[in-house]
This record gives sequence, C-alpha cells and structure tokens, in this order.
Amino acid sequence: MPPSPSASTASSESSLRMHVFVTVGSTRFDSLVQHVLSDTVLDALRSRGYSTLAVQCGNSHFDTGPFKKAGESWRRNAEVDTEVWRFKPSLQEEYGKADLIISHAGSGTIIDVLRLGKPLIVVPNETLLDNHQQELASALEGLGHLKASTISGLSETIETLEAARLVPFPAFNGSRFRELLDEEMGFAEN
Amino acid sequence: MAIALIHAVVVALSCLVLRIYCILPGKTSAKPRGRSRTAPCRTAVFLGSGGHTSEMLMLVSSLDFGRYFPRTYIVSAGDTLSTQKAVALESLKAADRPPSPNVVSGATFITIPRARRVHQTLLTTPLTAACSLVVCVYHISISPLFLHSSSVDVLILNGPGTCFVLCMAAYLNRLFGLPSPKLIYVESFARVRSLSLSGLLLRPFVDRFVVQWPDLLKDGRRGDCRGWLV
Repeated sequence: MPPSPSASTASSESSLRMHVFVTVGSTRFDSLVQHVLSDTVLDALRSRGYSTLAVQCGNSHFDTGPFKKAGESWRRNAEVDTEVWRFKPSLQEEYGKADLIISHAGSGTIIDVLRLGKPLIVVPNETLLDNHQQELASALEGLGHLKASTISGLSETIETLEAARLVPFPAFNGSRFRELLDEEMGFAEN
Repeated sequence: MAIALIHAVVVALSCLVLRIYCILPGKTSAKPRGRSRTAPCRTAVFLGSGGHTSEMLMLVSSLDFGRYFPRTYIVSAGDTLSTQKAVALESLKAADRPPSPNVVSGATFITIPRARRVHQTLLTTPLTAACSLVVCVYHISISPLFLHSSSVDVLILNGPGTCFVLCMAAYLNRLFGLPSPKLIYVESFARVRSLSLSGLLLRPFVDRFVVQWPDLLKDGRRGDCRGWLV
C-alpha cells in the first residue's frame, strides 16, 4: 500500500487537509499528549498540510482548559481541528483514516500501523524504567521503516518527514515459526 | 545428629541439581531422526496478556491446525481480553478450513493465578508464585496422571513472569521421568539488544529458545533466530 502523498510545495500541502492520529495505547504518556497539543507541534502539522488531529490519550493527563467536552471526547476547533479521547475498542478505523500516525513505541502498535502502510513517527517514553522501547524504535528507524523522535524533536521530525522515502514493512511470514515448530515436533516438511 | 541432617540435605540437593543438569536440553537442538511424526501434536499456549497475547496469537495463526490439536489456551486470572482474542482466532481458522471428522474443532481454556501482578512487590511475589505453581502442577502433572485428561506434547511460551511457573511445573514431570511437554520459548519482537527477564531465566531450560533479532545471540549461547516471526 503506497504511503501518503508527500507534496513538493508548501502551498499545495496546505490545501491537502490531511489527518493525523496520535496514540499512546493503554499507557500514561503525559509529555507526548501535552506536547502534541502545544502550539509548536500544531504549527508544524499545519505547515505540512494537516488540518485535523485525533489524539487517543489512554491514561494520560493533559490540560483540558482550551477544550469543549462532547460526550467522551474533548474538542477544539482551530487551525488544526483537534479531538481527544481516552479509549476505543479498536483503533483500526482510526489508523485507516490517518495520513500520519504518531505513537508511543509499543511493539504491537508499531506492527499494526506499519502493516497498514501508514507513515509512523514513534516517540519512546524516556521515563520508563526499562527502555527497550528505545532499542526497537532505533532499530526500525535504522531499517527505514519509521521515524523515531524525542518529545522536543517532534516538531522538527514532522517538518522534515518524507513519507515516500519510508521503507515498506515486510508482510507477515507465518512459514518461519510453522517450519521451526514442525521441525522440533518431528513433522515432515510440507 | 544435626551434622547427619546437614549431610542428608546436602546430598539430596546435590542429587537434585545433578538430575536437573542431566535433563537440561543440549546446546544444539537435536533434530529428530527416523520416520516423521504422523500423530497430531497436543498443544498448549500461554497467553501472557497485552502485547504478549497479540504476538503469541500471530505465531499460533501460522500453524497447521490439522497438525496441532487439541489446542489449550492458558490465560492468567482476570485476563478476559486474551480469551476473547483467542476465540476470535479459532473462529477465523475454523471458517478457513473445511470441517473434518478427524480434526477437533474448538479449543480449551485454562485459567491460572498470576505468579506476579504488575507492580507487585517482590516481597509478596514468592507467595503468589507458589500459588500459581500449585495450580500449574495440577494441570500439567497431576491431572493427566490421575484424571486421564490428555497431557500435552508442546507448550509454547513468550513471557511474562507466569510462564516461568509453567516451565517449573513441566520440569517437575521431567524430574520424575513422567511425560512432559516440549517447551518452546519465543522472545518478543520488541527485544532487539537485550533479553527480557523471562527470557534470561528460561533460556537454559526450554527445548527451543527463539529470538527475533540476531543481536540477542551475539553471546554465543543457545538459541535460534529465523528473523521476524510476527
């Protein structure tokens, strides 16, 4: 599945009306959520042609002041129309609607998003004690599948992202485990 | 009198350690020789919740269900989401295959208490781990022996903590020369440079120790890497 369009000029980008989805899974990641809702990041998103933003904030805390509560979500209409909510049973539809996804570096989320062929920026949570998330993010960035970013570097990563240059993630290859287990249990090769 | 007791304990412990050392799997996985297997493989899978469950179900989805049945899913107490996901996978696979009288459709679910809850203090962990071990021993050692329910040919684990307790229960069988499942441990895709605690603990004991990133085998110790399995 081809990655989202990366327009060549700023003026054509601003008319693209693209959508960004931010997710932190079931974790609490206050700094990412707060930073994504800040003017710095919103300006960077707007400059690249994103006009709507949805944030799945999980258990994170953020300043709800500027938002209007509407049912289970918080909304703010501005240069980038923003909607924030905590959980949904499935995020597949959200991934499908998005032209860019920014997420915590959970491996399940990463696999789900990359298999849909969507451009992905992951932000490892530096406050976690055991930061193997960072290892995964770096390794996948090294292979060109996604961009890894710190909180403070997020706006720059957004501004310089070239989605078309991301390397597609390989499809699920079930034969590897199947063959390994068949071998161990003594089944003949098919 | 006390010295004799100490001697007895030391001898018993030495025998135990020696026995366990003798039954540890070798460094290289021995390929089974002779005729290939025809009998189905009775399979048990531990769903460790969250990302562990998702990865494990991807692994299970790649298997030929005609070769691996009956399938038993072991979940931790309170983890209904893993059960739901496993049921969804079973339905999907059942829809793919024409019904066959030889293949047992559906799966069994067993619940065991967690050895350690997330954030539980290490002080109380031995107690909950012991509870968990007792239930595992019941299912793996006692139940097949006395109640004639089928024991298991292979047990697939991918972490977290409670899988260590399952491994111990399987080893209890081995200690006494009873039938014991083959133990397969698959380290998570998220582990690139360093093994998880479960991986470190289980590495010497399982029959196949599988990692998904080659750096993890840099130390030259036992393990298989066939690339990404998810």
